[in-house]
Amino acid sequence: MAKVFVQGAGFGYGSQDVFNEINCKIDSGEIFCIVGPNGCGKTTFIDCLLGILKLNEGDIFLEGQNIKTMTPGEIAKLISYVPQLHEKTFPYLVKEIVMMGRAAYTGWFSSPSKEDSEIAESVLDMVGLGDFKNKPYTQLSGGEGQLVMIARALAQKASVIVMDEPTAHLDFRHEMKVLETIVKLVKDTRLSVIMATHFPNHAFYFENNRIPTSVALMSDMTFSQIGSPSNVLSEANIKKLYNINAKVVSYPISSDTELKQIIPINSNIDSGTIA
Amino acid sequence: MLLGVNITRKKLVYILLIIGPLVCVVASLFIGRYPITIADVTGVLWSKLTQNPSGIPEKYYAIIWEIRMPRAIVGALVGGSLAISGAAFQGLFRNPLVSSGILGVSSGAGFGAALAILLFSSTSYVYLFSFVFGGVAVFLSYIIGRVYNTTLTIMLVLGGVIVSSIFSALISFIKYVADPYNQLPTIVFWLMGSLASLQFKDIFIAGVPMIVGIIGLIALRWKINVLSMGDKEARTLGINTALYKAIIIAFATLATAGAVCVSGIIGWVGLVIPHIGRMLVGNDNKVLIPTSLSLGACFLIIVDNLGRVISGSEVPLGILTALVGGPFFIYLLKTTKGGGW
Repeated sequence: MAKVFVQGAGFGYGSQDVFNEINCKIDSGEIFCIVGPNGCGKTTFIDCLLGILKLNEGDIFLEGQNIKTMTPGEIAKLISYVPQLHEKTFPYLVKEIVMMGRAAYTGWFSSPSKEDSEIAESVLDMVGLGDFKNKPYTQLSGGEGQLVMIARALAQKASVIVMDEPTAHLDFRHEMKVLETIVKLVKDTRLSVIMATHFPNHAFYFENNRIPTSVALMSDMTFSQIGSPSNVLSEANIKKLYNINAKVVSYPISSDTELKQIIPINSNIDSGTIA
Repeated sequence: MLLGVNITRKKLVYILLIIGPLVCVVASLFIGRYPITIADVTGVLWSKLTQNPSGIPEKYYAIIWEIRMPRAIVGALVGGSLAISGAAFQGLFRNPLVSSGILGVSSGAGFGAALAILLFSSTSYVYLFSFVFGGVAVFLSYIIGRVYNTTLTIMLVLGGVIVSSIFSALISFIKYVADPYNQLPTIVFWLMGSLASLQFKDIFIAGVPMIVGIIGLIALRWKINVLSMGDKEARTLGINTALYKAIIIAFATLATAGAVCVSGIIGWVGLVIPHIGRMLVGNDNKVLIPTSLSLGACFLIIVDNLGRVISGSEVPLGILTALVGGPFFIYLLKTTKGGGW
């Protein structure tokens, strides 16, 4: 059974449609990248998956259960969320942040148990932040902060993690750290990851690491194509999607691996020529 | 090492926080304008405990048991309530600058008290009116905050600001029409806050909402951590944000309205005590909420004692809290370096 199954999904604010007729399914151990221009509705779709917004049409099933009939606590045990930019308020300790991932398992009037505390420490070790547990998370770098958010999502013990542009504000090294962590988690735990991203190259990165990867192109208010990165992320599709000229190049990074990359060239699509 | 037990700094802080309010309550029985020797106070307490007559004048019993004792207990409850609901609101609204009055409870209660004094020219209905209008103000803020059918945090704060300013204007209006020789001074003194002339019956009237509110906030304290992550994240962590917010607001309002209706408007405690708590024990509301309760209780008793011995006539509490608390806050800021802030 698919971890996530979306059928004829449509959503709009009032009479203004954001997307409609979206169909897709995400399996265990799969990374599903949603690619599309700014404002195309990626985040709105994610909010529907998380049960924050309610679809106007169609259905979303998490492990076979219709999300419409589920409480926030039930949803949180099946699907967790890593925000694009977490707005920090109080300087909680790293471990205190990760413990919040246990909220769905904590009763009305109770606090996390010793077992929850052990889970928090083990997921911090998984993302390589075991030594940071007693540091205020406001003092971490952007990349480490994003890993804390991933650890918090892992603490929910959900089999699907939704990430909204998880590397949007990171430098190269931290971007690689986050991507490597995602790859390791998917390989080790058969987690499914749904990721909205502005970097289609991430999909090639996952594919190169031998992870089942799908790319959905979001345009014209729906998923216009879904398929493997090599098939979907073509020069023609990138041109249509972002209205730019781009090259897809292939470079051998080891004897048996070719790394594909999209290189944006210019936004002047009328000139028709690519250097 | 103390008494052969290894007591860490953390444990020491917790022990002090637990026994602190008790020590403050007992100590304040020894302090007051009427001179009673330490031996006599001890004698009165001892004879109350053992139910034996002591030969100490009846008058002393009245002063210690019926004036100082209820005043200290109500002081502890009021200080604790203001501080605990301030801490809860700061977490809930993700804003370290909000206080227990953020949703308009203080100005609503102030208006209720002023109205009661204007209508009845006495203070007999002040409790009821201030409690009810404090609750009404918060309810109105909450309704305004729900315009989009959800409780967006920023809309709640905006609702609170609007309701507060409306009730402040109404307070000014009542002051304007009040009789300037009798009613106006009563209203002004009430608004400055005081614990004077409290009796045991006040504990039973105002103590119930305060204690219910305190217990509720303590029970839900860890969820405030999760809510402070913001609406969207809290929801994806599995919290029914609208429901939890409504319940926490209800408990904090009970505690604050109960406090304001007996003590008048006492600023500062609900804003700054939680920050002092953060410097001592950190930001985790699991610990911070009980810490704020204890610190608020101790602080208000101490300030109230100062207020009644510092000069010939009592200095209103609302004035002293900031005058005493401000320098203390700066001192703590300097010694703890803000504790991660």
